[in-house]
Amino acid sequence: MTFILTFLLRRITQGVVIVSLVSFLIFTLLRVIPGDPVRMMLGPMATPAVMEQKAEELGLRDPITTQFGRYIENMMNGDLGESYLLGESGGAAPSAQNTGGGSVTDEQIVERTKTKSNRAKVLKLIADGLPYTMQLAGLGLLFTLLISLPLGIAGGLKPEKWQDRLAFFTGSFFISLPNFWLALVLILLISTKMNLLPAIGYKGFAYTILPAIVLAIELSPVMIRGLSVSIASNLSQGFVDGGILRGLPWSRIVWRHIIRNSSIPMLNLFGVQIGGLLLGGVFVVEYIFDFPGIGKLTIQAVLQRDFPIIQGVAIFAAAFLVFVNILVDLIATYIDRRLNY
Amino acid sequence: MTKTTRRTFLKGAATAGGIAAFGGTAPYFKKALAQGRKHITYLQTEPLTASWDPTSHTILGQIYFEHHTYGKLIQTPMRANDPEGIDYDLATGQKVVDEKTIEYTLRDDVTFHDGQKFGPEDVKATFEYASNPERPAGTWYPGQAEVEIVDSKTVRVRAADGSYPGSLFWFLAGFLPIMSADDIKNNSLAERPNGTGYFKFVSREGPTTRLVANADYHGGKPEIEEYISTFVGDANTRLLSLLSRESDLIERIEPEQYETLLNEDVTTVRTISTENKYLHFRNIAPFDDVRVRQAACHAIDRSLILEIMGPAGHASVGQISPVKFGYTDDIPNSPEYDPARCQELLAEAGYPNGEGMPQIDYLTSVGFYPKTKEYGEVITAMLQEQGFPVNFSVMEVAAWLESTFDLSRYALADTGWMTGSPEANLVVRPMWHTDGGILSDCLSEELDGLIDKQQSITDPVARKKSIQTELMPGLAKQMPSFGLFTSVLIHAHDPALKDLYIYPNGPMDLSRATWTS
Repeated sequence: MTFILTFLLRRITQGVVIVSLVSFLIFTLLRVIPGDPVRMMLGPMATPAVMEQKAEELGLRDPITTQFGRYIENMMNGDLGESYLLGESGGAAPSAQNTGGGSVTDEQIVERTKTKSNRAKVLKLIADGLPYTMQLAGLGLLFTLLISLPLGIAGGLKPEKWQDRLAFFTGSFFISLPNFWLALVLILLISTKMNLLPAIGYKGFAYTILPAIVLAIELSPVMIRGLSVSIASNLSQGFVDGGILRGLPWSRIVWRHIIRNSSIPMLNLFGVQIGGLLLGGVFVVEYIFDFPGIGKLTIQAVLQRDFPIIQGVAIFAAAFLVFVNILVDLIATYIDRRLNY
Repeated sequence: MTKTTRRTFLKGAATAGGIAAFGGTAPYFKKALAQGRKHITYLQTEPLTASWDPTSHTILGQIYFEHHTYGKLIQTPMRANDPEGIDYDLATGQKVVDEKTIEYTLRDDVTFHDGQKFGPEDVKATFEYASNPERPAGTWYPGQAEVEIVDSKTVRVRAADGSYPGSLFWFLAGFLPIMSADDIKNNSLAERPNGTGYFKFVSREGPTTRLVANADYHGGKPEIEEYISTFVGDANTRLLSLLSRESDLIERIEPEQYETLLNEDVTTVRTISTENKYLHFRNIAPFDDVRVRQAACHAIDRSLILEIMGPAGHASVGQISPVKFGYTDDIPNSPEYDPARCQELLAEAGYPNGEGMPQIDYLTSVGFYPKTKEYGEVITAMLQEQGFPVNFSVMEVAAWLESTFDLSRYALADTGWMTGSPEANLVVRPMWHTDGGILSDCLSEELDGLIDKQQSITDPVARKKSIQTELMPGLAKQMPSFGLFTSVLIHAHDPALKDLYIYPNGPMDLSRATWTS
């Protein structure tokens, strides 16, 4: 119990430091790379004076440290800010009261230059996209395991045999398929030509299957290879010969000893894969399939320099990765008590 | 001892595969679509902004959206056979009263979506609000306007300071969405779109916006009962979505996609746009010398660029599109491809064969316009062939948008300019008058004089002649920007969708669109 408490305290403290560093790094980089969010908000015809006014309204002309301090303060209060470009979801237009119309005064015009808008809350955008991304990532991981476990285990148990070659060939084939290309080909064949599965957007669970297949094909090679190598190396360990000499059934040696010993590196690999899913594959796949998760949200935000969304997602992703790594280490310690992370 | 044999492995793999194929996916192995024939799903290439206020932006995607929800006094469809034709919308007529004033007579049977009656006070509030130079979209208009309400059906529009003739609104009024005076007064424009258009706003969920037919539309309720518009950034995704009939209508088809679509069961529409593509010169060496600018124009063979553009390009002469008021292809001093003349001019400017010329940084974008990178490389090669030391840079959209307006950094920049009216001043003034000069600063008082002169002419015939015979040759002489070609908009839609009209700046008129069986 004491170990777990110390472990969690230490790792969570480390995690807070990591997330803070990532936040500051992302926050600073966004403000130094080319690309002005105000231009993206107002369009190409906006004059420099109007753009400057908008930039000041958004606080973008303050020193970066001041902006970051303000951001952290708001974040502590659970506010990740508002998107520069995306609006809140809205209902039907309310019926306005007839106030008589009439002309507009100069004071009113000046007041209106401080544009009122319906900018969407970043936290809500992330919360809205998260279930979709989790569904996609979850199904992708399930498909990955369905592909990788039989191939990887069989390949590891039969080094130099056809099972090993099949695992190697499948992994090599999958890894050579770029995910964006594979996504387009699958949409064209499976959805457009054969009408077997829907693909673009999201109107139900069926829309998750094709993108999940693409993710699985992207992730499987590392899992297949990792499994087969790990199992093959455990096969040559003394405990396998010992088990055989003790007369243990082969299935017991495999499941209780070889696979259990192979599971720790696989667990770490699995943790990294989840990070890879979040930061890489899911983003690209969601964008191409127009899947309404966090990945699509992020790619659009990057293209449009929507700083609050990029910052929010970066912090969320960093915190999630820290959490996954803590969890993986905790499980690894549970499997092998000799480990001390 | 039990070993994994080929048979047990195959049995396990088949079981796992079976679970995956039938347990997980079988129930979904059919189209999850039920495409109705009373709604349109449209995939847009630009997202809408957080504000519904039409004056809060200059973004094309949102201008397209506003076309469905907001009416205008007039519409300027810029048809190929009648680019200057006008259709009356909320106005029943317009006339130039005097040198300073234009008068509109208004319909009296129109209501806004919130049920309020449309009247002259709405026109007054709209013109005065939208033309305020402090509004982001105020830059479309020549200056602060002032509106006099003559009676319940008549308004007169003029410049607040008398600096420009009211006749400038002859075409410009076709670009200005009429807003409710109450919305302007109550500062509620940003909250929801409330116009007089044929579709009414229902909801916005993430990138998807829903509109429904406006039963009270003065032109009659549209047959299309629901319009669903979704922002999809990737061009291939949009195309595949149309081919699988998950969407009905898509825009900005890439040239190579167009060739593919010709063999598919879809209707493609090519529209010569209001947008010319330009090579802008900046007032830094060597282009601070007009002879070098002219030489560069003579070095570029535009027919090669048009070959690259394919169906997305249209040959034009001069600086404005053929659908613009004042376009002419008879500009005697417009530079043509002529390497010998290029060398003469370079020698005169002190750079024989390009010797001694400082490095030229040329900026273009990728992902915004079609083929910019491809034809940029060709332009670079053609200029280098004549001795111009060109360094070609390609940037993604956001970085490019910021850099392209920095006139001191890149001596050459490639952009287009899409405007929503036949009015030539929407192009000429912001780009080549010293009041604007937003993309080129190779300007002069002489050019200012020519722009001001045509703007001050109230007689449309005389004004057109001034643009064609004085301003266009003046631009060719000064050459702040070289017109490469006119863009062609390519849309594609389900062939059962009929009677939609696509404006040369991109918006679509769906008020009379129908589904056929």
